[in-house]
Amino acid sequence: MAASKKTWGKLAKLSLVMLMAGTVVLSGCSSKSGGSTDTSGGSSGSNDGKQVTLKVEIFDRGNTPEPYTITDSYLTRYIQDNFGTPNNIKMEFVPVPRSEEIKKLNVLMASGGDVPDIVFTYDTPTFNRYAEQGGLTELTDLINEHGPNLKAFLDEDAMSYGQYMGKQFAVPGKRAFLGKYSSFIRTDWLDKLGMDVPQTTEELYEVLKAFKEKDPGETGGKVIPFGMTIEPAQYDPLIWSFIQPTTEEQKYTLIQKLGANDYPTLLPGFKDALQFMNKLYNEGLMSRDFSLDEDKKQLTQDVTNGLVGFLTEDYPNLYYADGTYDTLLKNQPDAKLEPVDPFTNSEGKHAKPEYAPNGMYIMIPKTSKHAVEAIKYLNWMAAPENLLALQNGVEGENYEMVDGIPVIKPDAPQDVIDRLYNSGDIAIIANGNFVGDDAQNREKLTTNFPERFQDLHRKAVEIAATDTFKPVNFDRPIESEAKYGTNLQAKYEEMIVKTAMAKPEDFEKTFETTMKDYMVSGGQAILDERTKVYQEMQSK
Amino acid sequence: MSERVSNRVFDTVNIILLAVFVLICLAPFFHIIAISFSSNRAVTSGDVTLFPVEFSLQAYQSVFSDSSMIRSLGFTVMLTLLTTVMCMIMTIIAAYPLTKKKLKGRKFFMFIIIVTMFFSGGIIPEYILVKDLNLLNTIWSLVLPGLISPFYLIILISFFNGIPESLEEAAEIDGTSQIGTMLRIILPLSLPVIATLSLFYAVGRWNGFQDTLLYITKEELYPLQLKLYQLVQNNMITDLTRNEGPSAGIRAATESLKAASVVFATVPILIVYPWLQRYFVSGVMLGAVKG
Amino acid sequence: MSGTVYLRRYWQLYALLVLPLVYFIIFKYGPMWGVQIAFKDFNFFQGITGSEWIGLDAFREVFQTQDFYKTLRNTLMLNLLDLLVSFPAPLILAIMLHELRIRWFKRLSQTILYIPHFISWVIIGGIVYQVFGTQSGMINNVLMALGFESVPFLTDKDTWLITYLATGVWQSAGWGTILYLAALTGINKELYEAAEVDGAGRFKRIRHITLPGLKTTVVTLLIINLGNMIAIGFDRPFVIGNKAVMDYSDVLSTYVYRTGLESGQYTLATVVGLFQAVVGLIFLLGANYASKKLTDESII
Repeated sequence: MAASKKTWGKLAKLSLVMLMAGTVVLSGCSSKSGGSTDTSGGSSGSNDGKQVTLKVEIFDRGNTPEPYTITDSYLTRYIQDNFGTPNNIKMEFVPVPRSEEIKKLNVLMASGGDVPDIVFTYDTPTFNRYAEQGGLTELTDLINEHGPNLKAFLDEDAMSYGQYMGKQFAVPGKRAFLGKYSSFIRTDWLDKLGMDVPQTTEELYEVLKAFKEKDPGETGGKVIPFGMTIEPAQYDPLIWSFIQPTTEEQKYTLIQKLGANDYPTLLPGFKDALQFMNKLYNEGLMSRDFSLDEDKKQLTQDVTNGLVGFLTEDYPNLYYADGTYDTLLKNQPDAKLEPVDPFTNSEGKHAKPEYAPNGMYIMIPKTSKHAVEAIKYLNWMAAPENLLALQNGVEGENYEMVDGIPVIKPDAPQDVIDRLYNSGDIAIIANGNFVGDDAQNREKLTTNFPERFQDLHRKAVEIAATDTFKPVNFDRPIESEAKYGTNLQAKYEEMIVKTAMAKPEDFEKTFETTMKDYMVSGGQAILDERTKVYQEMQSK
Repeated sequence: MSERVSNRVFDTVNIILLAVFVLICLAPFFHIIAISFSSNRAVTSGDVTLFPVEFSLQAYQSVFSDSSMIRSLGFTVMLTLLTTVMCMIMTIIAAYPLTKKKLKGRKFFMFIIIVTMFFSGGIIPEYILVKDLNLLNTIWSLVLPGLISPFYLIILISFFNGIPESLEEAAEIDGTSQIGTMLRIILPLSLPVIATLSLFYAVGRWNGFQDTLLYITKEELYPLQLKLYQLVQNNMITDLTRNEGPSAGIRAATESLKAASVVFATVPILIVYPWLQRYFVSGVMLGAVKG
Repeated sequence: MSGTVYLRRYWQLYALLVLPLVYFIIFKYGPMWGVQIAFKDFNFFQGITGSEWIGLDAFREVFQTQDFYKTLRNTLMLNLLDLLVSFPAPLILAIMLHELRIRWFKRLSQTILYIPHFISWVIIGGIVYQVFGTQSGMINNVLMALGFESVPFLTDKDTWLITYLATGVWQSAGWGTILYLAALTGINKELYEAAEVDGAGRFKRIRHITLPGLKTTVVTLLIINLGNMIAIGFDRPFVIGNKAVMDYSDVLSTYVYRTGLESGQYTLATVVGLFQAVVGLIFLLGANYASKKLTDESII
């Protein structure tokens, strides 16, 4: 018995030793980590004849056409040939799955190795977090020294979006067009009913009621006067049109920025917006299952089947070739779905939000030894001729110049079109095409669409840019927004869904409970912090 | 007589209930297949239920003409085979000793294994481990971290325990070593559960892709499910993609292409079970040995 | 028996165990130092070891959040319902298959029943919407055609529970039968023949031969299931759930995803994970102990 106890003890010791050995091996290894594993030289950026490898993140969306791979396509070769080789730099693209972008970036950063020299994200909290925790290279001097094109391309306004506490920690991508939303209505239904295009919210309500009662689309009672989902493009324009005119102070303190967007949860008028939605829902004027439609699939289906009379949407979404409108026309050749701008606020304006002027946050991790090359690369990209080539391909093959606008040739062979399949993820410093002044940039948007829809698209672009207001920008990040943002987005949507679907007599109660839940889940913390930061800004 | 009648009633009800459930299980798969053969218009308009509308082979043409899909299929088959064989060997050699009540330290071993069912280090240390072992971008990063599932190990132990000890004792008296007993007595008697667990491991590996998102950046090591995931997920609007705006000319996959890819990635693993079923039958005969 | 004799006799068993134990030590215990994130203010760039200790602050914060208790309650509730409905389903299905006498139908249905396990939740989500939707779902289309009121299967939280359970059974019951069918092959055929001679009816045979033959498997799975009462997969509640039924569909995994992982707050996620692990282990050991006392079956 004693002996067997001994054996047991030995075994226990053995396993302990093995466990420790394992841990030692591991900790030994992990202490080794840190820094780029790159061995191809390039000490602190000086390019002394030795070839340097520059690693650049690239989104993998699983849509690479044959014969390319995500890391070896027309554009990556173009970059190697026109930027890499002349500068003795080997370009290496590191694919990151689009939908797991932040998770993967986080793990790469936290494990301290194999981080690309250029990483990017659209996510503001992620940028703030990296900057706050000291993981990013300060860029001001680098840009001044190596980025003249970049500086010219990104004006000061756009540049400021890449700052954290006054320091430049990111090169912000620049957005070519800031408009977001337009509304669309079945004008053939209006004609049938002899009604005018609605110009105000009240007129729209009358139209919706008429759509419901008179069913001009002959849907057999299936008509959905107002197509709704639980996506911002469908509820945002409605809600913001109910928001009362706000003072500067109210804007700073009462708006809640969750993720990258401003939310009007605490602004005066928000409750009225929800009340209006509740009315639409209970009168059967709005998609009944909107709370389930998280990817607009049902909405698209309803629109293409000619059931929807009115909807709001990201301005270009309906007019893609083989897209929603095309399919609707296949199903109902006489249908007409045209841009309108009916929602009006108390001042009679068609107020709607627009994008912040920045796109991606392009960052250079502190561990990168090739910050200089990274800026040189972005600078190269910012030169107009290079940006043009990355976004539009080859003149005469991919596009023709018409009035200074590179117009994509619709009849180009597929392999020529495929060259640019991910140009948006390659030309990271720009979100959208920059071809000249604002008007030209807008016209360029339209020329990307099938000719038969260009007039409609042009109108939608115009509406998307009408009476817009900018997101509020603090000069420092609001910490509680980063912390509670994702959770509050869900709470916000929950509030919309529950209040809309409540019986009219239960609206008050539902609004109160969901609002209370929102406030204790971080809404109050954000309000407090924003108020404090605003007062600090004022007292300066 | 009444016994026979009630037997017949039982059988009929049983068959009807099962048939209904079978149809319910089959319908969604039929739906996906129908979509994969339908036109884009029919799919977006929601016209497709169980049969193709505006029949089209286009989706399959693009799947089969995509050499990366074919290559990925080959890699996935290899990965799944390798994983299954290695996992099964490891699970068996772990399970057999742990069935021996006389094995000293058995409870301790069981305990430290069960602890790992609940506690884990999280993705960051796991990534660091795989990186430090130099496994990133190798097939081993997808095989080694998941070699033994404690859950399947426990199941195997419980099945091994069900084999009468008298058989093993007889073998031991004949002078067979423990490893010999395991190989010659226990394993042949356990074919059904070994087939089952192999299936579980194989399906787990086939369907899993979360680890590949982190450990693999080389396209030639993309398993099928990762490609599928990207196809399905990356075109969806999420909180992440919303801020991109409609700027970039991103090619979106059509619903029928997604469906065809789902079918392409699912059918190969679906036929594994019917093939394994033979081991379930042979198990029945062996069961008789136990008496 | 002296130690040397013991080892000489059983060394092979230990030899077999070496590789598996090395595996567990390297790949499972190796990364375990990451657990300390729960007690640290995690900084990505100082790494796990370099981040600052904050003691139990993060635990205090989590335990003060009302969402934590709501999602904990929902997790337990959904798991309990699953235990009552989804756990017995494969057992019943396996017995039904076992009782089938038509060989081809048996094999065919076995093969088909496990298909749903291979359809990913994202796709199931879309199908569920088409089937259970209030406005244009198939079931409600039929109900309305028959003159009934439509049923909000997805947007009313109580009826949503039915949808949640139904999709769970549908997705996993066929898959779950495989293990039971493997166990059933171990039952001696002669027992059934003897029972037939004795004139025992079908239910009697199921009760006295089939069920006892499955007892070990059922108990093993039950113990493991009880250990997992506080853990819940992410996909099913996330995909089947929606904003209208968040009161029930929001569970620990979705909560951690939103508040922890998506916001880069690994500390919070680890705290919840650690809490789940401790409770889960206690549940499992408790279930194991109870089972040993009651049924003489146990996994340790």
